Amino acid sequence: MNGQSSLRGEVGKHIVLLLGASIVILPFYLMLSFSFKSPAEIQSITGGFFGAQEMMTDQFCVKQGRPLAECQMLPVVYNYTAAFREAPLLRYLLNGVIVTLSIFFIQVLVALPCAYALAKLRFWGRDVVFGLVLFCLLIPVHAIALPLYIMLAKVGLTNTYAALIIPWTISVFGIFLMRQFFMTVPDDLIDAARMDGMSEFSIVWKVMLPTAIPALLAFAIFSIVAHWNDYFWPRIVITGDRDLMTPPLGLRMFKSDLDGNEYGPMMAAATVIVAPLVVAFLLAQRRFIEGITLSGMK
Amino acid sequence: MNLSRSSMWFVAPAVFLMFILLIAPVFVAAILSFTDYSLGNPDFNWVGFKNYAAMAKYSAYKKMFSASLLYVIIVVPVSVLLGLGAAMLISSLRFGGEAYKAIFFLPVMATLLAMAIVWEFTLDPIVGVVNAYLTRGCDVGWWYQFISGAWYGADPTTSWYGNGCNEGFPLWIGDKDYALFTIAFIGVWQAFGFNMVLYLAGLTSIPRELYAAAAMDGADSAWERFKLVTWPMLGPTHVFVITITSIRSFQVFDTVEALTRGGPSKSTYMMVYAMYEKGIQQNLVGIGAAITVVFLVFVLALTLTQVYFVNRKVHYS
Repeated sequence: MNGQSSLRGEVGKHIVLLLGASIVILPFYLMLSFSFKSPAEIQSITGGFFGAQEMMTDQFCVKQGRPLAECQMLPVVYNYTAAFREAPLLRYLLNGVIVTLSIFFIQVLVALPCAYALAKLRFWGRDVVFGLVLFCLLIPVHAIALPLYIMLAKVGLTNTYAALIIPWTISVFGIFLMRQFFMTVPDDLIDAARMDGMSEFSIVWKVMLPTAIPALLAFAIFSIVAHWNDYFWPRIVITGDRDLMTPPLGLRMFKSDLDGNEYGPMMAAATVIVAPLVVAFLLAQRRFIEGITLSGMK
Repeated sequence: MNLSRSSMWFVAPAVFLMFILLIAPVFVAAILSFTDYSLGNPDFNWVGFKNYAAMAKYSAYKKMFSASLLYVIIVVPVSVLLGLGAAMLISSLRFGGEAYKAIFFLPVMATLLAMAIVWEFTLDPIVGVVNAYLTRGCDVGWWYQFISGAWYGADPTTSWYGNGCNEGFPLWIGDKDYALFTIAFIGVWQAFGFNMVLYLAGLTSIPRELYAAAAMDGADSAWERFKLVTWPMLGPTHVFVITITSIRSFQVFDTVEALTRGGPSKSTYMMVYAMYEKGIQQNLVGIGAAITVVFLVFVLALTLTQVYFVNRKVHYS
């Protein structure tokens, strides 16, 4: 193979990949671009990426009876202010943070001691418990949604934070992952801690937890991404109460009570919801890819 | 502290939650599928296999199975092959590989529901970018001739593109002949980056010497090297990628609920959406539970097939 033909090969590969990349990136580009533009520019597909940013009138502001001069604004300002006004976007984002973080912390609280016991302690029934974990790994979440919903409705918990959080408090995948990790921790470390008079309880949180940080970080990314993006479960248990909606569900509601052509504000809302994870991903690509492909084991 | 007692305390919460939140619901679903239960009713009747019989009898459920199956049959091979292709191209690049990897992985990360709504706008027949540019292209002579086949001497009006220029381009998610393919396209767009990353990991684990050895045996062309070394050495990755993509495509919900609600004329009425519509929206819990049980059987069958292949050791190390 000579230099020239391998150069030609390299160029060819870049052409194919660039073509693919442009299709993959198209919706992200449009989402961001629409969130900048005025309704007229969106309708007529003009204005390039940023739009001309000509002053436009906020009809909502006019209806409130404020002077016309105050209601003139740039389309980009209009879109984002309308997104936060018409959908209680800030509330949705706050709910998303509350729900994803609560889920993650409870998952760790339940999984870590169990994983430690399965990896390092000998007790009656250990193999049964581990078998149970492996069995539960086979159960897909979509298959238990309906009965879980009935159970929650029976105890009157639908339309609460609890309904959003409780079903995910147990992560058998987390138990499995942490158990595999703890198996690699040398027994000497634990024995030394016991000699120092540490209780099993403090061994879990003061010795095992710090050693498990890398694995926990991967699991955190996996868990937070999954639950921030989840739409299926919030859609089932939150019906109507906007104050409890998570970002994807809130966006869905925004879409269904969209009157006229409020595409700009809606794309602004979508951008705000997608941005945190995408930015975090671009900053720490390797860790994110590691964390999310963990779910390949699920 | 007594070791075995503390292990009890460590394990008990997890075991309790596993029983309540994972194992019990599976049995509850199975039991409910034999009843006509609905939320709010104090009583219910045992109806035997009536719910399952309904699934075999009514055309809505037949459409549900065929739509789910068609979706999986499209999304799995396309996203697996695209993932493999992207991984092979990227891993053979001299520069720029990381950037492509990041871009292709973006859809895996991004909130699917939000991106589905963006796709809906993009494909909208009136304000959508796709149809707007397809229509504009009709007036660009060389492009029109190239795409409609006039260059190769074909009759442009009989081609898909020429027809679209005259009669208007498809409504995509609003057209029953296109809706499922459009949803499947979004599914592929979202999934293939995940497969690419798994294949990239698989490719790096192939020992370099194997390629040298294959070249000694006379495998000169890139295709032969691929056929003799790359493809078979990726055995375990194939099993893994195919199963996980199949299971995930069986679970498609967000795009269906947000864009088509199973329509038009049930062409995108897929299992998880059907389960949601029947069991939760319409409060026909019995039939929803029966769909759940069938769904569970499908997913377990896929998982057990994977376990079978993994145990047969589809690898050469």
